[in-house]
Amino acid sequence: MKHNDIIFFLTAISLMLLLSRVFSEACRKIKFPMVMGELIVGILLGPTILGKIAPAVSYHLFPLQGPISVAMQGISTISVVMLLFVAGMEVQLPMVLKQGKVAITTGLMGMIIPFALGFGITWYFPELFHYNDEKHHLLLALFMGTAMSISALPVIARILMDLNLFKTNIGMIIIASAMFNDLIGWLIFSVILGLMGQGGHSINIGYTISLVIGFGLFMLTIGKKIIDRMLPWMQNKLSWPGGVLAFCLGTCFMAGAFTEFIGVHAILGAFIMGIAFGDSVHLKEQAREIIHQFVTNIFAPLFFVSIGLKVNFIDHFSLNIVLVIFVVACVGKVIGAGLGARMGGLSRNNAIAVGFGLNARGAMEIILGTLALNAGLISQEIFVALVIMAMLTSLLSAPFMKKFVEV
Amino acid sequence: MSFSHLKNRSPYPFETIATAIAFSPRCKQMLSEAKFFKTMFNCKLVLIHIGEKTIEKETQLAEYCTAIGLPHNSFTMLWKTGDVVEQIMATCKDQAVDLLLMGAMKKENMMQFYIGSIARKLCRKAKCSVLLITAPEETPVFFKKIVVNHDDTPKTKHTLDTAIYFAQHQLKTDLYLVNEVHHPALALSMADGNTVPEAKQIKQELLGEDIAELKELCDKHSCETIRMASRTVNGKPGFAIANFARVKKADLLVLNSPDKKLGLLDRIFTHDIEHVLADLPCNLLIVHSRTHN
Repeated sequence: MKHNDIIFFLTAISLMLLLSRVFSEACRKIKFPMVMGELIVGILLGPTILGKIAPAVSYHLFPLQGPISVAMQGISTISVVMLLFVAGMEVQLPMVLKQGKVAITTGLMGMIIPFALGFGITWYFPELFHYNDEKHHLLLALFMGTAMSISALPVIARILMDLNLFKTNIGMIIIASAMFNDLIGWLIFSVILGLMGQGGHSINIGYTISLVIGFGLFMLTIGKKIIDRMLPWMQNKLSWPGGVLAFCLGTCFMAGAFTEFIGVHAILGAFIMGIAFGDSVHLKEQAREIIHQFVTNIFAPLFFVSIGLKVNFIDHFSLNIVLVIFVVACVGKVIGAGLGARMGGLSRNNAIAVGFGLNARGAMEIILGTLALNAGLISQEIFVALVIMAMLTSLLSAPFMKKFVEV
Repeated sequence: MSFSHLKNRSPYPFETIATAIAFSPRCKQMLSEAKFFKTMFNCKLVLIHIGEKTIEKETQLAEYCTAIGLPHNSFTMLWKTGDVVEQIMATCKDQAVDLLLMGAMKKENMMQFYIGSIARKLCRKAKCSVLLITAPEETPVFFKKIVVNHDDTPKTKHTLDTAIYFAQHQLKTDLYLVNEVHHPALALSMADGNTVPEAKQIKQELLGEDIAELKELCDKHSCETIRMASRTVNGKPGFAIANFARVKKADLLVLNSPDKKLGLLDRIFTHDIEHVLADLPCNLLIVHSRTHN
């Protein structure tokens, strides 16, 4: 990087962080998801607005090629890996087991129905998405199935807290089901990215999937036990919290590198490592909070702002695609999760409330969409529609839950 | 065989206690403990042995009883054969046992833990309360520090009442009522969306009611011989309270019986009572609330 590049690069990062804080705080004030503020900043600084009104400034601060672009791409990759690590830290399999049948049926049905609906619509009606690439038709259908079935645990937890349902039985069922959804959803998505050849390696896909399963099983059993042994030692012998943070993030990147090497995206390694750490009884709450603060307040804004820098949200807005994706997402999730909750023994109204609770997609959907866009799996129109769907479902979740829930 | 006599039976008072004896090196100590608790609760004692009845075993039992001063007519001896866990459970049901005493290692090796030892299996499956004694003594002593788990399930009331009943039969006891605080996904959802006062308020709201309830319970049940105190501990359920009991050097930890059948998966992805069974911090009383099972 040359002298001028460093100046532009640091200015760009500074603008992204400062403006995203201003806008996300404004969103928080009006009870909108904070990620929306970050996306708006991306839209303002990207080709949608700044690129139109001051193309020279946009070209220097956020170039599409050259060293600044490479550095931005690097930051974006680190950010998404860390975001998946912290998402994994909140997936606690023992909690899913503890909630038992109702969490499993809700989680499963909340995956199967939206997946089938998303897959079916894309498979049989690709023209709805203006899609004509025969080569990746199956992968797109698989992706749309996954995109419809994933949930956003952080948003859901926040909604439950606002509705004072966090500690209730129904709240725990929703959280456990969202954890289950996330686990399965990210596993499937990683394999789809692997099938897209994102790893850039020629390792056989069957071999890759066996390695992924082996890695997952190892990390969630023996790996977890090793972490359980090491964490207390680190917390006592190394400087606090530096030692633990270095250990957590170091192993997160190592796991990411491993899954990338075997032909699956780095996010899977980070996600599984996150689960292994989050499950450890020795990970202090303070360490968990520091990691969350660090990732959520520094790397997440950079990532979400960078989304708007790549996509023109006005040029690629398609009302048809937005409507199709929004309707399929809501119908699939509310019916699927609601049915699962009913099968698990919840009352009709509570089952519907669970369906709406799990319908919030939030930041996780946007991450999923961004990775698919980067992989060339989806068009910018579909991506824009996914972002809008993620925002709308997050906004609608709380009022609908409130309407139906019976505590 | 009808077990209707057990349905809705209160977990206390302990009218019948039982202990399984295996003629192991700790057999005499376990018999001493059984005698101690029989006297303590002034109840019927049932001794169970799963295995063939032989002259040698009978002679050895008679020797032990004489040595510890347990008259032969003060207990019922039952000899059973078959699967150890199933037979003990069936006998407990048949005899309407309220408390089953078992000797247990503090920690078992990995294989034993995953496969499950007799004592641990009974903790997971028994339909009566189980007391695991980690270090049985020939001269047992009263419990001085008891830690009781308090969560918001209906069983907890029975567990607390049983723990207080237990404490009333000791000389003088410190009884800690412990609330474990664990909110999955809370850190993530609060990471970016709150000012410091808001975050504090949310945490306080999540805890406030519990703290007030615990305090009220302590005030209600404290007396001259039972000094009650409430504590809130952060961490994963099961692990946090076990750690608290360890730090407090408690003599007895009292927990609710498991809400559902626990299996191998629950040991691999350890949670709640499995954390305690993996490494017993002290003696463990699992209260089986028959009303809620």
